[in-house]
Amino acid sequence: MPILSVSDLVQQFPIAGSKAVVRAVNGVSFELEQGETLALVGESGSGKTTIGRCVLGLIRPTAGAIVYRGHEMGGRRSVRSAELRGKLQLVFQEPAESLNPRLRLFELIDEPLRALQVNRAERERRVRAAARRGGLAESLLELYPAEISMGLQQRVGIARAMISEPEIVVLDEPTSALDPTARAEIIDLLIQIQRDLGTAYVFISHDLSAVRHISHRVAVLYLGMIVEQGPSATLFAQPSHPYSVGLLSSVLLPNPKLKRETQIRLEGEIPSPIDLPKACYLAGRCPLVQARCRERMPAVESVEPGHMVRCYRHREVARQEQAVDYFARFQEEAERILGAGMPPREKRPAIQ
Amino acid sequence: MGATAAVMRGTPAHELERAATPLLSIEDLWVAIPRYKLESQQVLRRIDLEMAPGEVLGLVGESGSGKTMLARSIMRLIPASGWIERGRIRFGGQDLAALNEEELRKLRGRDIAMIISNPRGELDPLQTVGQQIGNILRYHMRMDRTAIRARVLDLLRQVSIPDPERRLNAYPHELSGGMAQRVVMAIALACSPKFIISDDATSGLDVTVQAQVLELMRKLVVERGTSLLFITRDIGITAHFCDRVAVIYAGEIVELAARDEFFENPQHPYTLLLLAAFSHNERLRRYWLGEDETRKEMGPSPTGCPFANRCVRVQPRCRSEHPSLRELASRHFVRCHFPVER
Amino acid sequence: MALLAYIGRRLLFVGPQLVGILLVSFFLVKLIPGDPAVLMLGPFATPDALARLRTELGLDGTLIEQFLIYLWNVLQGDLGTSWQTTLPVTIDLAQRFPATLELVTLGLLLALLIGIPLGVAGAFFKRGLLRKAADYYGLLAGALPDFWLALVLIFVFYTMLGIAPAPLGRIDFAILPPEPVTGALLIDSLIAGNWAAFWNAAGHLVLPVVTLGLINAGPILKMTQSTMERMLEADFSRYAEMCGLPRHVVLRKALRNSLPSIVTIVSVLYGFLIGGAVLVEIVFSWGGAGQYAVQGVLNADLNPVLGFVLYSAVLSLVIYLIVDLIYFAIDPRTR
Repeated sequence: MPILSVSDLVQQFPIAGSKAVVRAVNGVSFELEQGETLALVGESGSGKTTIGRCVLGLIRPTAGAIVYRGHEMGGRRSVRSAELRGKLQLVFQEPAESLNPRLRLFELIDEPLRALQVNRAERERRVRAAARRGGLAESLLELYPAEISMGLQQRVGIARAMISEPEIVVLDEPTSALDPTARAEIIDLLIQIQRDLGTAYVFISHDLSAVRHISHRVAVLYLGMIVEQGPSATLFAQPSHPYSVGLLSSVLLPNPKLKRETQIRLEGEIPSPIDLPKACYLAGRCPLVQARCRERMPAVESVEPGHMVRCYRHREVARQEQAVDYFARFQEEAERILGAGMPPREKRPAIQ
Repeated sequence: MGATAAVMRGTPAHELERAATPLLSIEDLWVAIPRYKLESQQVLRRIDLEMAPGEVLGLVGESGSGKTMLARSIMRLIPASGWIERGRIRFGGQDLAALNEEELRKLRGRDIAMIISNPRGELDPLQTVGQQIGNILRYHMRMDRTAIRARVLDLLRQVSIPDPERRLNAYPHELSGGMAQRVVMAIALACSPKFIISDDATSGLDVTVQAQVLELMRKLVVERGTSLLFITRDIGITAHFCDRVAVIYAGEIVELAARDEFFENPQHPYTLLLLAAFSHNERLRRYWLGEDETRKEMGPSPTGCPFANRCVRVQPRCRSEHPSLRELASRHFVRCHFPVER
Repeated sequence: MALLAYIGRRLLFVGPQLVGILLVSFFLVKLIPGDPAVLMLGPFATPDALARLRTELGLDGTLIEQFLIYLWNVLQGDLGTSWQTTLPVTIDLAQRFPATLELVTLGLLLALLIGIPLGVAGAFFKRGLLRKAADYYGLLAGALPDFWLALVLIFVFYTMLGIAPAPLGRIDFAILPPEPVTGALLIDSLIAGNWAAFWNAAGHLVLPVVTLGLINAGPILKMTQSTMERMLEADFSRYAEMCGLPRHVVLRKALRNSLPSIVTIVSVLYGFLIGGAVLVEIVFSWGGAGQYAVQGVLNADLNPVLGFVLYSAVLSLVIYLIVDLIYFAIDPRTR
């Protein structure tokens, strides 16, 4: 029974002084189960951030339905309403900008509890517990955001989001502003929290390596539409949509031998969301384009149960592409190379 | 120091004969910046680096590691009122310290070009694309107007900008991120420089756009035999793009090797930390990235090895004795007392 | 075409804006204590005479009635009469407003000629004599009162050195002024070919223009310097240096990018100085619009004050429109 269900979500933003609209989201449907991570991946203009805001009820969708545990999230029933307070939370991309520079870390993490009108003693206890859970030493709680690194700032953002023990957390590019090492730590933290609290994540990102690590299912977005959706492991190993292939083949893992080589290359630039192509949005850039792609938008088809794709030629794509999970292979190689430097007694393979 | 530098020339992966004189030669470079109320702080130390013509060298480091300082020091435009304390930079055999400001100015943009991140911020918002590329041609090559226009169009085509006649009159704010980056590349290539420095040029770009830009850069560099110093925070890119890879930490080069050797046999604990960040294996990550939060926040160690504060394999010797850059395998240099041997 | 539509739209708003400005000014001026009837007839006037005069002056209706009557008159081009000069306000201002405009325009031009180069130099040289000079100048110009500087200049150049003409107005009493076309003496004498008047008027203009120029160069210098500093630190300047562009090109780019801020402050100064030059006008007996308005306030003479407000409001709105058009011309991002 999914806790969140989004159906045919459409979001358009009018442009001041003109009749044109920005078509940010164009008919998106997905579901989120309890305690799972669904990743929304895409590049600029994919609409992933807008979807995140709609899920939280921060924007009123132009059309479509978002239902969280029977509550319609449509801007009217927003996160501010009493029953929903604290159940949905958000973690931002830029830690420095999302933390009030005039408040100490303690107060920052405390803020959501004040909105929930928790009493003082209880708040104190929970703030310290949240800080510990977020890997923040208690001595840091007296500091201001400017006095700590970006990685720690992001931990504060996460601690603050988790303190109300939400059911769903929307994370909007939580690691993009961080160095790769800090990124890894934040992902570790999020996985740990999910294990402890059973929180579901909507993980919005363009960092495919992190997505592969943290997500159970992934939805690939292009210009406000889901072009492919399915379990992360299968989708990453065998993408069925040309855009998914293009995206995955652009990922550069630190191993010169492992790269998805493909004949599918996307030329040109992403079109503007104001001026969307008719029919399939990728038609202008897709090497596999045919006449029917320019006439009508492909319907959602099922590759396997739980794995959907919008492409007339998805079977050819799947066949053409090697069914290799480069990410899994990279992990094996990495273990070999990195494991060599570890002390002998720790060399027993970890049970994952 | 000089002898070490001489040995550190790598072999470009595409099997060219090594030139007798390296194109760029940095010897024992130390750069410092002033600090408010304190003595100066050294941001680069003991840098020894050489680049052959036509090679692509990747330099990986996190924020604050000094990689941008190095790029600017080569151009001799050191930010934050910094200065070169010690050492020499030679370009094409010529010692850059011996040149006056005017001669250096001629070098910049013409023989050594730079491509930076945030291209839209770097372009003058009030001038068109055509005007800005034209500026370089006018002041460095002294070409006349018709010649400039022809060359600008040619450059725009070379960087795969569609519809170049129309783009000539575009302003920077009208360009997408990828397009602006190509314009910056066109500016860099305008005078056919022998050496290009790319400082974090692809961060902030969408990943498919990044792939296109990297492919374009590779093609242009190989076609013209230009050397490229590719500075980045993302070690993954260097695996597929560079001939040699170097890692910089706290202003010092800690590892340097040819690409395949580097990724097959990384030896410095910091390199392993950078690679472990990509691993999904929790145990591995915990080991190399460390678990102690306060330790991770500590800056470089002032005595001994700068990585001592964060290093998971640290020993007493690491804090007392500064390690020098040693050649451990063929053309594989590591600055560590206890490198990871395989 | 879009440009004309834009200008058209702006001009459309000028009407309602002016009505609003007049409304507020009218009621504010009416708050000033002082009964014009009493001031005109003196303290020994009989109540009857006062009442008759008030009716004549239209002061016996309600404030709203008075305002509407005034507004109706304005729409017909009648700004009333000043009881001090006994002339219609339009005639008074036709003489005085150009006097102020001529003075202020030339003063600001001089201020730009001093302020911008010093500001650029101050931004470019981080240390050294020129930088210190720019810093101190900016400080002094902000601290010195303009009328004090005017008096000092008069003392030095007229009283002591005798090379400046007497500070008694715009032109010597003996010289025949040219036919008023624009109201600006310099332009009108050139049109009439009257060289005697031209040089004489120019001579009288020197000291007051220098006063205004020296003082107002201060804020222009400061704005230019701080904006230039910011522009020279900006990414595009760094990039231009990295490309090896010559220093003068880098400076030119930075200056071009600083223009919007400089234009802004010039427009603000312009609007301010129309009334703000009053002290200098008084010292030089200039007969300008500011003086006129101040006397109106002191004597509860409503019409000159409102007339002045109307003229300067129109001027300000025109200036802001021109400034916005300049922004369009300079900065492609605004289009």
